[in-house]
Amino acid sequence: MAEPTEVPAADAPRPAEGLGRVLVAVYAVFALAAGARAAVQLATRFSEAPMAYLLSALAAVVYVLATIGLARGGRSGRRTAFVACTVELTGVLVVGVLSLADPDAFPDETVWSGFGQGYGYVPLVLPVLGLLYLRAQGRAGRAEGQKSPPPKSPPKSPPPKSPPPS
Amino acid sequence: MTTALVVAVTVVAAALALAGIASTVARRRIGLLHLVLAGLLEALLLVQAVLAAVRLAGGWELPETATFLGYLAGALLLPVAGVLFSRTETTRWAGTVLAVPAATVSVMIWRLLQLWEAGSG
Repeated sequence: MAEPTEVPAADAPRPAEGLGRVLVAVYAVFALAAGARAAVQLATRFSEAPMAYLLSALAAVVYVLATIGLARGGRSGRRTAFVACTVELTGVLVVGVLSLADPDAFPDETVWSGFGQGYGYVPLVLPVLGLLYLRAQGRAGRAEGQKSPPPKSPPKSPPPKSPPPS
Repeated sequence: MTTALVVAVTVVAAALALAGIASTVARRRIGLLHLVLAGLLEALLLVQAVLAAVRLAGGWELPETATFLGYLAGALLLPVAGVLFSRTETTRWAGTVLAVPAATVSVMIWRLLQLWEAGSG
């Protein structure tokens, strides 16, 4: 066998579309929210609660990475997003437990305090949805990679857009 | 910042979110209605921002100016980013993509009002 010619096709970034894009949009909102919050906290009162504010900054970075990874797709994008979502899930669980068990350690709110209750628990649900989406995408990617060389684009034709006759 | 404007923003943002979800349910892409609602939402937010800027320049003191400005900038950005992002989405999920920032704005605007009313001048 010569070089496996289908590898680039399987690894080519496939930008998120459809439902994946909804996920990207939610992640982008959280990247914005967490980033703005961390920037304000670090700039104006870092000394008050360095731990909580550094966590805010970490959360912001994680959200940005997850957004980019999910939006870009492809194998590397999925890997980035997988790591980000895993860190995020761990973060929200650990910080959630700690902030309830020892509130003094977290004098100010972070996105992940109380399992993200300040944000309607979305921070708790989001990484789970992200990981589920990545698993589905990974399966689709693998199925495509196993296909024989003719690079058939997935038969994912969008539904016809003609309005239904009224 | 006035409560009346905040209510108006909330109503338009909620309408946009509902219209977005409705288009997803109906398996349609976004249409003129969504763009009009998003434009109206952005216009209301701009009015709100200008009013706030005038009051701030006139001596209204906020305990958390940086946070307020951050939220304000974020709220102004969201409808524009949402429209741009959903316009490039070719499936029925475009509406939901637009509903996400709309719903976010409807929550953020109340937090903005809260931050505003903590001030005095």
